[in-house]
Amino acid sequence: MSAPVEDALGRPLPPGWAAPAHAPDDDALTATTFTERAHEGLGRPFQRTAIANATDHTTAALHQRFAGVDHEALRDEARRIRAHAIAQLPTYLEQWIDRAEERGIVVHYAADAAEARSIVAGICRDEDVRRVVKSKSMASEEVALNSAIEGIGVDVVETDLGEFVVQAMGDRPSHVIAPILHRTRGEVRDLFSAMAGEELPDDPEALTRFAREGLRHAFVTADAGISGGNFLIAETGEVAMVTNEGNGRLTTSLPRVHIALVGIEKLLPRRRDLGVLLPLLTGHGTGQQITTYVSVLGGPRAAQEPDGPDAMHVVLLDAGRSALLGGPFEEALHCIRCGACQNVCPVYRQVGGHAYGWVYGGPIGAVLTPLFRGQRDGGELSHATTLCGACDDICPVRIPLHDLLLRLRERRVQEGAAPLGERVAFALWGHLWSHPMLYRTSTAAARGALGLLAQGDVVRRQVPGLRRWTAGRDLPLWRRR
Amino acid sequence: MTGVRLFPTCVADTVARRTVDDATRVLERLGIRVDGGRGTTCCGQPGFNSGHDGPARAVARATLRALDDGGDAPILVPSGSCASMIRLHWRELFHGTPDAIGAARIARRVRELSAYLADHVDALRALDLRSDVRVGYHDSCHMLRELRLRDEPRAVLATVSGLELVEVRGAERCCGFGGTFSGRYPEVSVAMADSKIADAEAADIDLLVSADPGCLLQLGGRMSRTGSPVRVAHVATVLAEALP
Amino acid sequence: MTDRASFLAAVRSTPRGDDPGLPARDAVPDAPTELRPGEDRLDRLQVEAELVATTVVRVDPAGVAEAVAAALVAEGAQSVALADDLGPHHDAIREVCPDAVAYADVAQDRVRAAGLDATVTGCHAAVAATGSIVTTGHGGRAAALIAPVHVCVVRAAQVVDGLHALVTGPTLDGVGSMFALQSGPSRSADIEKTLIVGVHGPGRVHLILVED
Repeated sequence: MSAPVEDALGRPLPPGWAAPAHAPDDDALTATTFTERAHEGLGRPFQRTAIANATDHTTAALHQRFAGVDHEALRDEARRIRAHAIAQLPTYLEQWIDRAEERGIVVHYAADAAEARSIVAGICRDEDVRRVVKSKSMASEEVALNSAIEGIGVDVVETDLGEFVVQAMGDRPSHVIAPILHRTRGEVRDLFSAMAGEELPDDPEALTRFAREGLRHAFVTADAGISGGNFLIAETGEVAMVTNEGNGRLTTSLPRVHIALVGIEKLLPRRRDLGVLLPLLTGHGTGQQITTYVSVLGGPRAAQEPDGPDAMHVVLLDAGRSALLGGPFEEALHCIRCGACQNVCPVYRQVGGHAYGWVYGGPIGAVLTPLFRGQRDGGELSHATTLCGACDDICPVRIPLHDLLLRLRERRVQEGAAPLGERVAFALWGHLWSHPMLYRTSTAAARGALGLLAQGDVVRRQVPGLRRWTAGRDLPLWRRR
Repeated sequence: MTGVRLFPTCVADTVARRTVDDATRVLERLGIRVDGGRGTTCCGQPGFNSGHDGPARAVARATLRALDDGGDAPILVPSGSCASMIRLHWRELFHGTPDAIGAARIARRVRELSAYLADHVDALRALDLRSDVRVGYHDSCHMLRELRLRDEPRAVLATVSGLELVEVRGAERCCGFGGTFSGRYPEVSVAMADSKIADAEAADIDLLVSADPGCLLQLGGRMSRTGSPVRVAHVATVLAEALP
Repeated sequence: MTDRASFLAAVRSTPRGDDPGLPARDAVPDAPTELRPGEDRLDRLQVEAELVATTVVRVDPAGVAEAVAAALVAEGAQSVALADDLGPHHDAIREVCPDAVAYADVAQDRVRAAGLDATVTGCHAAVAATGSIVTTGHGGRAAALIAPVHVCVVRAAQVVDGLHALVTGPTLDGVGSMFALQSGPSRSADIEKTLIVGVHGPGRVHLILVED
């Protein structure tokens, strides 16, 4: 089964459109260390400036957005709703499934990423799907969906502007809300120019127009639309989804099949709870009062309705979520993926989203990656933070990210995943500094040694034991006068 | 005469004994008797924050026992981060151990130095402190976001006549020290310091002041390496140098 | 492949965390998406809609068709589709746009629908505090987005105070397969955070607010 190369407007698709996707299949998380990935990010000055400007702007907009209301009370209420929904997850999940099936939604169950991929591939086969348009979905990034359905000969076109660029470049999104924050307009122009076969101007407006035209072709020729979902509403069996570009709505309106891949933690008990969670999601995500488009989808096109898909499938994704219920990391499931913690994170600001090695960046990425991918693959990430607490202060649902990171570090030690050198060093430290006399001796010895190494009032020499500090910094000595 | 205990902290004992001396001088000029005490080591934070709770507890226990002197004098700490460790995290660290009650007792007595001094701004003003430097204040993370001390150190600095206190952009952003983070990921840590230093230089200040020796080592060490015109100083040092 | 029973069993097999319970259903949250005390509902709708680059005109019922026609002329729209949710104003609008097609007739031909210059729709409701138009599957999922220009007729009686009123009250009873909010033209800031309007949805949105 191969995809048609002409579109329904009778024009051939530009070369880049017919088979755009070659998702990165190397797994950065296992192939490289945080240090290596961070080094790469630090070497991209454009990225660092772009992140600083964009995140400062969004954070300022966030604070302005909630200036006139009791923001703290709203966050308390949101926390309460999320905590309740997760604590009662089995009940609400079952309720959602029942309501959704009553609405004619076909519900599928993916225990892990591999199942999610094969379920979606199976739907594509059964529904004779040859081209898919996708709107942004972090869950689909999590399970690496694109390459799986391309593998069975289905064309996949990402329709979020940023995700489209990411896909065509064989790149990964670097931010949960702003996928190509790390890319310059010049890079986008070069990409689109190559697709167009002509030189396009270096102007975001013109580049966006170009993408719109091509993506229109995809929308009108696609057999299926694949989306994520921001919330599952238990009392009604609906899937709520927010976008600004409108691609989410077109993805779920124009093709004859709609498939939504949604993590089970996205449950909200009631429609009413949208009144609390939506303004927090959009306000913390982009500083907007509300995103341009909010779609609350409750089934395939009904009789008498002029448009909409003939079939709606929802693939419920577990993939490590149920294992967190009732445990010390349950609160990680409260996350609504607004990206605010990433925006305020001083480490992310320097290293960029790719340094986190998987799909989620920033503090929530440093928490979710080891939880979803395991200590061995992602455990190091719990140390990729200074524990500055800025994330705790900004989280709309008050996830105690600082504490979760600490618990992850503790678990890493308990599971024996901390390197031997680290364990020996802390054991020695614990022994020496638990005895005041040995402490005095060791600090006096350190003072003496540093005094000998000092040039004036600083130590600059890169001797063993100090090199990791003195490679980039002096060590000031504020000695007694 | 009121008395206080002063817990120097391990960073000060190793590389910043002047900070302790400066704090002592200022407190004594306020008529406060300072008991340096003996036997304290470290609050245990490096181990606790790295997930090595066992060694952290052993180290912190030594300090706990040394501080638990049967009195109720305030225990001042010239480091927001260590003060926060004792005040907020010792309960968790010692939970379920025989030292739990002692830890809570010490937690109640501990105060970050500038927060204590902020209760004495009139007395500080009466010392006729003078300076002519233009300073910015760097909010250290745990002091700001755990102890919620934002105005206190600024109020203390404002008691120095002639000192010009300006707000530096991103004052609340982490300096990149992060304890063991500075050694685990030195390149990232230094980049974070550079971002802070750029903001400090843009504010055209002479001195970037903080109440955390960790941040001061990080920022001061990087400024020294790059030859920045800005220097760093602890709040206690600014006050001590402003004494007539 | 995992089935419903084993999927739910995995979720159920773990002990439960703390459950703080839920806030009362009818308690209006103090959120930016709610009307402030003393605010006029229609004024707030206009202000919010204009803030997100919607063109708002307020007319009396007799002026609706003329306002729609003026918007279409201003946009230079040639091929226009009318949704069938225009209610009492449908016939008058039909009269001023004699060449317009019915959205229901073109919706299933995606290529033709994508070639429209403008759509004219009614709405199911509007949310004052967010400047949003609420549409449903009955009027058409894509009717508000498919063309570069969207003209929407909102009757004053359809306007609710805020998001809470929309999602708790009877407004959404019987909406069909979906409901949706749209607030202004389609936008993206993906390329160097430069705000671009008219990405996949309309670049221009006209809200004709009908006051009785």
